[in-house]
Amino acid sequence: MRESPTGGNPGIPHTTTVIHRSYLFARGWRSATPVLLLLPGFLLYLVMAVGPSLATAVYSFTDATGIRGIAINWIGFENYDEFLLRGAASRDNIAALRRTVYFCLFVTVIQFGIGLLFAVLLNQKIRGKKFFRTLFFMPVILGVAIQGLIWKLFLLPRGGPAAEFFQLFGWTSELLGGQPRQAFAWVIVVQIWANAGITMVIFLAGMQTIPNELYEAARIDGAGKWQLFRNVTWPLLTPAVNTNLLLNIIGSLQAWQLFLVLIGYRPGTQVLGYLVFAEGFGQTSGSVSSAFRQGYAAAASIALFILVLVFALVTHAWLSRREKRYIG
Amino acid sequence: MTAVETPQAPRKTTPHGPERAGRGEPPGWLVRLKRQKLASYVILLVFAVLYIGPLLMLVTTAFKTLPEFFQNPTGMPESLRFENFTEAWNEAQFARYLVNSVVYTTVATAVCVVTSVLVAFPIARGYLKGGRYILLLYVIALFLPPALIPQFQLILNLGLFNTRAGYILLFLVNPIGIIILVNYIKAIPRELDESAAIDGCGYYRFVFKIIVPLIRPAIATVTVLHAIGLWNELVLAIIYLTNDDLYPVTRGLIAFEGLYGANWPPMAAAVLILMTPMVVLFLFLQRYIVSGLTAGAVKG
Repeated sequence: MRESPTGGNPGIPHTTTVIHRSYLFARGWRSATPVLLLLPGFLLYLVMAVGPSLATAVYSFTDATGIRGIAINWIGFENYDEFLLRGAASRDNIAALRRTVYFCLFVTVIQFGIGLLFAVLLNQKIRGKKFFRTLFFMPVILGVAIQGLIWKLFLLPRGGPAAEFFQLFGWTSELLGGQPRQAFAWVIVVQIWANAGITMVIFLAGMQTIPNELYEAARIDGAGKWQLFRNVTWPLLTPAVNTNLLLNIIGSLQAWQLFLVLIGYRPGTQVLGYLVFAEGFGQTSGSVSSAFRQGYAAAASIALFILVLVFALVTHAWLSRREKRYIG
Repeated sequence: MTAVETPQAPRKTTPHGPERAGRGEPPGWLVRLKRQKLASYVILLVFAVLYIGPLLMLVTTAFKTLPEFFQNPTGMPESLRFENFTEAWNEAQFARYLVNSVVYTTVATAVCVVTSVLVAFPIARGYLKGGRYILLLYVIALFLPPALIPQFQLILNLGLFNTRAGYILLFLVNPIGIIILVNYIKAIPRELDESAAIDGCGYYRFVFKIIVPLIRPAIATVTVLHAIGLWNELVLAIIYLTNDDLYPVTRGLIAFEGLYGANWPPMAAAVLILMTPMVVLFLFLQRYIVSGLTAGAVKG
């Protein structure tokens, strides 16, 4: 628009890297423009994400329903009281809470182990490396609906491949339709199958940042394969270890969607996340009375949130202590 | 020949100490290496079976008739018949579900990415007062309680329950995407802004004509991360959409399962129909998809 002033302007030293924003905006950028253009995204964020997130706590003290136009009343700690302390339902809730923790422990430990194993094996010079990486990561992109249906078919109790395999050992089972405990275990398997690829990829990315010279130096000192892993790979993999542990813990505490696809709302298998959904949106098959109790569901989701927060903070504290120990 | 061989033999064996490295046998370290490779392959193949097995079962089932399936669920199909695919396609309105999914995914992802760039750029550059606090707000969001219930109340009271607009509204923000973009934009030299302003290039044009092409990898990452999550979303589709005409593919698939129940052959065909484009896309865009999903995972 105006003639370029750079040519004969001694005011700007040639080497400067710090540009004052007043300078830019004096040169033709109206200072309101960035703000105006930022607003749509930011307001959407406040209204659709931050606001509702904070409002969950508020709703947990009310008797809100999922029906439009019905008055919402403040009922204090009633929901929490009912959720944790009252009657048979609260015993189920506590059981669901315990189950959530079990789910988290099993999924985290096994997925961490398998992801690490995949990464170690596929970080070698080995044929078909790319194929295996692709194969192990692929379930991640499929989403719970497809993941769940694939396994539902695979775990067909009559003549399905898994059933046939167990038959070889004389073990007949209803698999997903069997005892709650068994169905629960199968959901753990599918959850790990679906997500181990992410753990693997994060470990692989971590391994690729470890300089080769370290391995060479250790090898010259006579270190064997195991010592290389123990003393070079493992300590230098700390960032990836931290990421994966936290991700697996937080992710598995909140995961429940495979339960929905694989076994539905079944007593003796629910985890907290499923409880929130079932109470809040009327998906409990059978008991109509509990349907659409959104205040109650909000209280349950706050309970889950606190569980996640505690686990995440404890893990984080433990990990940073461990990291300090490694660095010295 | 023998005269040449004999002086070499001791030289060959000495570095490997007392191990048998006789003529014709590979030296000890090679044996160990091979054994280790072999063990690696065995482990990898066992897991590969667990990963391929369910997919193979899906494919074979999709080509069977129902009686054939009941008689022998695990075996190979007798012939390659495509009736299941046509049946699934016609019975379940998958064409409509696919259109819905494509509409939801493209509209919401486009809006999300464009608004995210416009949020991320001034924050990354410090062109806003308190921009740092805005960024902090995006980081904190990852540690806030789930928004599920109040979000539902909001959509319900806006009268957008069971509408396309309401469903799309749920997917317009992505805090992780903002964080990825801000980090990427920070690496672009600020001198660019200066010369653009001097040359009279407006802010809006600068962001979309100059910055966007420069941050294409980050935009690809965010797009992939957002689009895949949205495409695969099942729970929100169950909660917000009760009208069959509005279902995305995930919800349609579960509805189809409800109708067909144990009739697995068309069911498997339906899953295959919806899965194949995802897998093909994955094979072609693997790098972006892996980086997108792991970036999302890492930041999350």
